[in-house]
Amino acid sequence: MAIENTSVSVTEALRRAKSVLETISLTIVGEVSECTVKPGYKAVYFSLSDDSSVLPCLMWRDSYDLCGFALRPGMLVEVSGVFTAYAAKGRMQFQVRRLTAAGEGVLRLQVAALARKLEAEGLMRAERKRELPAFPSKIALVTSPRGKAVHDVIRTLRRRYPVAELLIAGVQVEGEGAVSALTEGIRLAGSHPGVELLILARGGGSYEDLMPFNAEQVARAVAACPVPVVTGIGHEPDDSIADMVADCRASTPTAAAEAAAPATMEIVSRLDAMARLLGKALSHSVIERAHRLRLIAHRPVFRDATCLMSARMLALDSAAEALSRALPVGIGRAAEAVGRSRDVLLRVGPKLTERPRIALGDASRRIAQQGPAFMERATGQWTLQAARLEDLSPLAILARGFAVCYDGAGERVLRSAGDVTAGDRVRVRLAEGELGCVVERADTEV
Amino acid sequence: MEETVDASAPESMTFGAALAELEEIVKSLESGQLELEDSLGRYERGVSLLRACRAKLADAQQRVTMLVGEIEDEDAE
Repeated sequence: MAIENTSVSVTEALRRAKSVLETISLTIVGEVSECTVKPGYKAVYFSLSDDSSVLPCLMWRDSYDLCGFALRPGMLVEVSGVFTAYAAKGRMQFQVRRLTAAGEGVLRLQVAALARKLEAEGLMRAERKRELPAFPSKIALVTSPRGKAVHDVIRTLRRRYPVAELLIAGVQVEGEGAVSALTEGIRLAGSHPGVELLILARGGGSYEDLMPFNAEQVARAVAACPVPVVTGIGHEPDDSIADMVADCRASTPTAAAEAAAPATMEIVSRLDAMARLLGKALSHSVIERAHRLRLIAHRPVFRDATCLMSARMLALDSAAEALSRALPVGIGRAAEAVGRSRDVLLRVGPKLTERPRIALGDASRRIAQQGPAFMERATGQWTLQAARLEDLSPLAILARGFAVCYDGAGERVLRSAGDVTAGDRVRVRLAEGELGCVVERADTEV
Repeated sequence: MEETVDASAPESMTFGAALAELEEIVKSLESGQLELEDSLGRYERGVSLLRACRAKLADAQQRVTMLVGEIEDEDAE
């Protein structure tokens, strides 16, 4: 386009731009980012955006109030209107005449709400995620019987792991009835005897197409599946609810099949490695034992069996020799000595003991005869005399309270009062001790 | 490890079970704790498991069973 040479004012420039812009009338789908809905304002201002662009929009209050719903950031909306320019700010904007929630925007809201609910229930917790079996023998596939997904999975599994048997539940995956078909398919296939793993697959599609995979029933069927579930749903950047609840999430059906089964190449090399290890382990075990055997075989015992006996034989020999040496000399000499001693003993012994034996015999006879009588007599005398001695003892008499009176020199026992006169000294012996006394009176008659 | 050697024929075992037992056997052999007779027995078992695994891989023809629905015959592989 040729550039006009005549210059115009800013206002004129914007007027011309505006008149051009206002010829562009469109219906646009976008996500609401910023939005300003204030009671006093004549218009509602918001921005629509997608991955790379932002478009400022305005909508007259009257029209907005008529459309019957509240704008919120994050909503996906469909707007119809024209482009225009706001000269005062030199800004282009889209003037919205009609505003509706794009189906998807509302769906996303619902899905997000469900995701929060299931998350709160713990269905998405990492510890719920089960490990996939390393070598599943039977894999169930729940997907549409039509389309690419089923063939992608079959092909991938055939290439990687044909050992696994594949059980397919071909169900409706979009449109009305898809939710219950998917739910039933997961339930049936997951509980089928022998199935170790379930793949839930769906080729790419619009958000709306993928909605059945965001259904609560399907999510619950995945969570309740008795075997681990791998999802390969669409090419969406966003996870579906089924993805979030599944044990493993792959981005496509092919990726799901890859996640589900090991590659034959890997297995073959693993088998090769195992074959080597097996041989090595056994040969190592055999070699180790052979070595031990060899060590044992080299021990002296096995090299020369006589060494087993040799020590004992030597001992025997030397014993025999000692015996043969010792016998004639030692024993002969001892026997001789013993023989001599015996003779002496036999001869002398009786004589030595004869006399004392006779004397002892006599003595014992006498003792036996006289002993008892003698003893009796001796005992009788002793007893009698002891009794008399006791009676006669002056001490015994004194002990009974009597006293003995001696003359002053203590030489004579006084038997009569006449033996002393008044003024004489006398001594009185008591049972204990002695008194020195002076006679006061001496009365012969009492 | 106990004497729990699975006596089932390797050919009739699933690939996964055969491989798991094979790995167990290799591990027990490598431990060097086995009696020689036991080692030999396990080795033989290991070899037959290995053979069975290889045979399964080599001969495997993917078996596909339809539980529900019919696959559209779009690609004639």
